[in-house]
Amino acid sequence: MAYMLTILTTTLITMISVVGVYLLTGMTGMFSLGQAAFMAIGAYASGLLVTKVGMAFPLACIVAVALSVGVGWLIGMPTVRLRRDYISLATLGFGEAVAALLNKATKLTGGASGFVGIPAITTFPMVLISTIVIIAMVAMFKNSKFGRQCSAIRCDELAAKAMGINVPWIKMVVFLFSVAVTAYSGCLYAFYTTYVDPSLFGWKKSADWVIMVFFGGSGSLTGSILATIILTGLPEALRFLSDYRSIFYAALVLLILNFKPSGLLNTWELTPRNIKSLFHRTDDVTGSMPTKKPMKN
Amino acid sequence: MSLQIIINGLALGSVYALIATGFALIFNVLKFSNFAHGAMMTCGAFVGYFLAAGKGFGLFPTILISMIAGGVIGIGGEFIAFKRIIANHSSHIYFFVSSITLGTLLEGIVTLKVGANFYNYPRFFKVATINIGNIIISKSDAMMFCFSTMALLLLWYIIRYTKQGRAIRSVSFDRDTASLMGINVESVILITFFVSGALAGLAGVFLGINYTLYPTLGSLVVKGFIASVIGGLGSLPGAIIGAVFLGLLETLLIHTVGSGYAPALTFSVMLIFLLVRPQGISGSNIQEKA
Amino acid sequence: MKIIVKKCVTVFFCALVATLGLSAQGNAEKSDSEIVIGCIQDTTGPTSTMGKMVEEGALYAIDEVNAAGGINGKTIKMITYDTKGDVNEAINAYTRAVSTDKVKAIIGPPIANIALAIAPISEKYSVPIIGLGVDPKCQQKTDGTTYKNMFCLQPSTISQGTIMADYAIKERGCKTFGIIYNESNAYSVSLVDPFLNAAEKAGATIVDKVSYNANDKDFKTLLNDMISAKVDAIYSPGYTQEIILITQQARALGYKGDLIFGLDACPPFNTLLGEDADGIYFINNYDASDPKLVSIINDMKQKKNLDITNKFFLGYDIGKVIAQSFTEVGTDSKAVRDYIEHLTNFKGMTGDITIDPATHFPTGLKMVMYTYKGTTPVMLEHYSAD
Repeated sequence: MAYMLTILTTTLITMISVVGVYLLTGMTGMFSLGQAAFMAIGAYASGLLVTKVGMAFPLACIVAVALSVGVGWLIGMPTVRLRRDYISLATLGFGEAVAALLNKATKLTGGASGFVGIPAITTFPMVLISTIVIIAMVAMFKNSKFGRQCSAIRCDELAAKAMGINVPWIKMVVFLFSVAVTAYSGCLYAFYTTYVDPSLFGWKKSADWVIMVFFGGSGSLTGSILATIILTGLPEALRFLSDYRSIFYAALVLLILNFKPSGLLNTWELTPRNIKSLFHRTDDVTGSMPTKKPMKN
Repeated sequence: MSLQIIINGLALGSVYALIATGFALIFNVLKFSNFAHGAMMTCGAFVGYFLAAGKGFGLFPTILISMIAGGVIGIGGEFIAFKRIIANHSSHIYFFVSSITLGTLLEGIVTLKVGANFYNYPRFFKVATINIGNIIISKSDAMMFCFSTMALLLLWYIIRYTKQGRAIRSVSFDRDTASLMGINVESVILITFFVSGALAGLAGVFLGINYTLYPTLGSLVVKGFIASVIGGLGSLPGAIIGAVFLGLLETLLIHTVGSGYAPALTFSVMLIFLLVRPQGISGSNIQEKA
Repeated sequence: MKIIVKKCVTVFFCALVATLGLSAQGNAEKSDSEIVIGCIQDTTGPTSTMGKMVEEGALYAIDEVNAAGGINGKTIKMITYDTKGDVNEAINAYTRAVSTDKVKAIIGPPIANIALAIAPISEKYSVPIIGLGVDPKCQQKTDGTTYKNMFCLQPSTISQGTIMADYAIKERGCKTFGIIYNESNAYSVSLVDPFLNAAEKAGATIVDKVSYNANDKDFKTLLNDMISAKVDAIYSPGYTQEIILITQQARALGYKGDLIFGLDACPPFNTLLGEDADGIYFINNYDASDPKLVSIINDMKQKKNLDITNKFFLGYDIGKVIAQSFTEVGTDSKAVRDYIEHLTNFKGMTGDITIDPATHFPTGLKMVMYTYKGTTPVMLEHYSAD
């Protein structure tokens, strides 16, 4: 039971980060290779505020998230005006720089030995509620005017601009939203494991999250959630394969990417209407499975 | 002393250049960053190691066979991870995701085979350094520099003056139009992967000779990536200039501010480049086509 | 076509979810004739070389015990949990080991970060984790008391750093040092301060202290200053791949002085490095001329073509300690923990091990200073770890 709970908690914390990445990648087509660095900022900032300053946990979370958003704004400012893939370059460099600085600031962060002595505050119900609230927020965002403008940008940035959408502004809002979500997952993570070290937040972690979003279908929030469950659960389920585990994992992801390039669910979402149409199969596919091609640049 | 730093920087830059060129070649044609390149280098390095240490091959046969092996791995990678994505005309992000996964796959296989030990290439040179006055040049660094220059010149010649090279350039410019002009796009892409893989094999052998072999050697690919960003994504001369620039910058920063802050400052330089000159030092043909 | 794809995906999911569910149940059919122990190691990822060695060593020990008839007729079964060098994976692995697989004891990792992450969580259980985390923080809380389940079977970084500094100053007569270490590596960082303190206490000067990061390959620029300052010795506690480069590049720059390295310079380091190995001084856990060790080294080379390192024997000793505690006090993990806390005079490959209950480190365990003459390792002196 304890094992299940551990897996569930870590999966849910990862899910929050992946939902953050979904916001960015799934909705606008931008992707960040330094997203984990924002998780690091969230984790270290909240951890330091609680242990060194003695701040209450909720307040520390708010401050840490605000701080990450501030940093995200600095990174986003020059990059949102550029072509979409530049944000991945900028964030990659940013992520590596954050790791190096965390290693350097030994007095504050413990350096490479890691940050020990964070109290264990995060509990399973807390993570569960956070996840539900954040997913709800993202779902609402997706269905708002903002969300539709994002889809427009994802499909064709130039055309979106021509339609009078303020592209840099929308990109910035989405980027900061996703940064905030990821930073919050960092707060939860730090107070769950009670130990963090800089090597946890490298670009590979950010890449893993992007893979999860694509595995589930880059246009579907439900897909991202499902992919997180499968891809964080899978390595645990595959423990019996020992050294072959990562090979199997990689092969599975490659299979999906190659043979179902739109991801598991493409753009299908778990809404009451779509569930209904699953059971009453009609030829009308407009609501459930748009036959649109996977997103093109 | 400053001349010594420049030489160290050049040596480091030539390593980065080899990595960055293979990287840039793929970007040039398919417009994506191939993160599996690092794992391909590791594979090439281990192939070379087993030839040199196990079978007693000399330097040149080792390099040659590793390059061919690297090329074959490149084609294999294309077949496993990219073929269908290319056929689907999917977005660049799919390539990116696929390449990272391919990298994990290759790295996993290498770890499985050789994970428990470190490996070193046999010594190819008796005296390891050349001293000119106060300046010390490591022989393998000099070799590396010469070989990368030669390989890059050869590549430049192929791309510039041969028929295949022209085909590669036209495909990189516009895949659909090139195909309409009667170019067999598929085979051009295969050739590109072969050449890029061969460069990865070459880089791998050099990394092996200069450094120690272990399964995650390929993580060095991030440096090649940063170099090609500074130089201008997709541009071959840009990648080389960017790599040398990065090598010099890093050694200079290490010398002046120490290693701890060097990554942060390198990043700042990259960000400045993105701000002031997003196309990099020499990139020009990467404007977004709507 | 669409529907077929959809169906396939649905079936695929159901299969996956079923697998996940089943595996979470754990392998319930555990036979009574087996005692299960866990081994939490990085068998993939950046530090796989060390994790795999410990695993091999532990496996060798367990095989020996089982071949000799096991423990009261029961055999020991070791389950290895890969952590990929990731703290989060390690926590999952640990929880699985203690709560689902119900292991009786755990062979811990040689990587301090992993041990640091498991330590606070291990308090909730009573399964001993006998590891190799040399950073004292792995065993000790911030208030000075120990984590009850965390043990280390080799001397702490404080002892090791002090031994190396003492040796360099007293035996080699070094007065000036340059220090170069890996800033992003917990093991490397934790070995710097003890050395520095001991050296300064003994009146030596640290001329230059520089650091590098995990992916750095060019150390010449870093080494330049200390070499032109003509230091007597360069101290570098790093991983194998790094200290090889540091040696080669220091020698290429014309450096003739001593090089002082930590545990990772043990053989087969000399075969990796060739002639450059001359003049390296390093610390090791055991005296490798012991015929028992030599026979195991040859055996592994023959059977698996592995050049085993000191991590192998550390893993081997942990395996033997656990086996001995099973014979002495049975398989209740709490009793095993208490037994290990008061372990005295265990005759291991790495020396006579007596655990200090106050620190959970072995007391008085010998360490051996070695050097390479040409490429042959030469034993210099035994040190007691106090």
